[in-house]
Amino acid sequence: MESPKKAMPRSFEDVVLPHLDAAFNYARWLTKNDADAQDVVQDASVRALRFFSSLRDENARAWLFTIVRNTWYGRFPRRTGTAVVNVPDEEAEHRPDVGLDPEAQMIQQQTVEHVRQALDTLPADFREVLVLRELEGLSYKEIAAIVEIPIGTVMSRLARARERLSGVLVPAN
Amino acid sequence: MECREVDDLLGAYLDGELEPAVSTSVRDHVEGCTTCRQRLANLESIGRMVRRAPYYQAPAELRAKVMHARARSAPRHWLGWAAAAVVVASLTGSIVFVRSSTRPHAPDPVDAVAEEVVSAHVRSLMGAHLFDVRSTDQHTVKPWFLGKLDFSPPVADLVQAGFPLTGGRLDYLAGHPVAALVYTRGQHTINVFVWPEASDALRLSDARAIRGFHVRHWVRGGMSYWAVSDVNDADLDEFVHALQQ
Repeated sequence: MESPKKAMPRSFEDVVLPHLDAAFNYARWLTKNDADAQDVVQDASVRALRFFSSLRDENARAWLFTIVRNTWYGRFPRRTGTAVVNVPDEEAEHRPDVGLDPEAQMIQQQTVEHVRQALDTLPADFREVLVLRELEGLSYKEIAAIVEIPIGTVMSRLARARERLSGVLVPAN
Repeated sequence: MECREVDDLLGAYLDGELEPAVSTSVRDHVEGCTTCRQRLANLESIGRMVRRAPYYQAPAELRAKVMHARARSAPRHWLGWAAAAVVVASLTGSIVFVRSSTRPHAPDPVDAVAEEVVSAHVRSLMGAHLFDVRSTDQHTVKPWFLGKLDFSPPVADLVQAGFPLTGGRLDYLAGHPVAALVYTRGQHTINVFVWPEASDALRLSDARAIRGFHVRHWVRGGMSYWAVSDVNDADLDEFVHALQQ
């Protein structure tokens, strides 16, 4: 989609709309279904329009993620099952066997669907940091700003998310 | 560094988020420690797998809704400024005559129709009213317009070209009733608006992009055609080409 070349005033079309896929992808991972994700992104876009003048030079994509996230939590207050509260902070969780190579194990059953299901079984707090880091390539600092947690927590949450994921992707047998 | 300490840092090490000195320490440890090296390999493997997860694309319908919200927000913006000007005027006690300079100057008639066409396209996607007659059969769609319009729109099925016809409806554009034919490409909807053109000029395809939608306009055989969609430019050109055959 080519955009008309108007350099000076940053418009909603030029700055925000190119990130609509990213916003939807993030919302889709948060909500785990298309209808809710569409509702969230639509509401978030209306808010983004309203607050557009407050967007300075920051990363428009990260800015939009923040709005999407706030919209989601506004619409769907933390439900049991998605809250990080249910997750023990110091993992008493099992660490996958050091000898296992998860990728090698995945070779037979490795499908996108499998990864999707594995991610969907994680609590939303874990899933979102993984999505922001691995699919969007955001830095810890950017993730910290969106999720409103300290950078140290981003690091530990990602570590626990990856550990849990390896447990789900490669079930101990 | 101890294994325990390194283990906690492996993720951040992979993500390139460690201070250079710390990163070097982790690297040195990993080089000499089989256990940590294996853990690092596992983490890398997890990362590669996660990056294979689906990346969900915004549906066309959502994009249309957002564009529509955007289109509606523009006048409110202007009202906001006008209200602010009134406040300023009353605060300073001066009488300020505000002239709207944001209003676009008289648009070219074809541009105005193009805007209308895009709005009609967005409207058709937003409400339930995409079809009055829903059929993939041109021999059902074409007669449906009989008696509803004072012209008979050419209806072609382009399924061979990869653009199946899905139906049609009546719409109202540029001051008269028009035929709207609905085609699809994958998940995307293409609306084609057709009405008789007074002049017998032949206009070749005129391409433009409005609010993220691609628009093509041409005049042929006494009919004015407008095709609008969110499919990419190349696909829309292909569509127009197929329709003009």
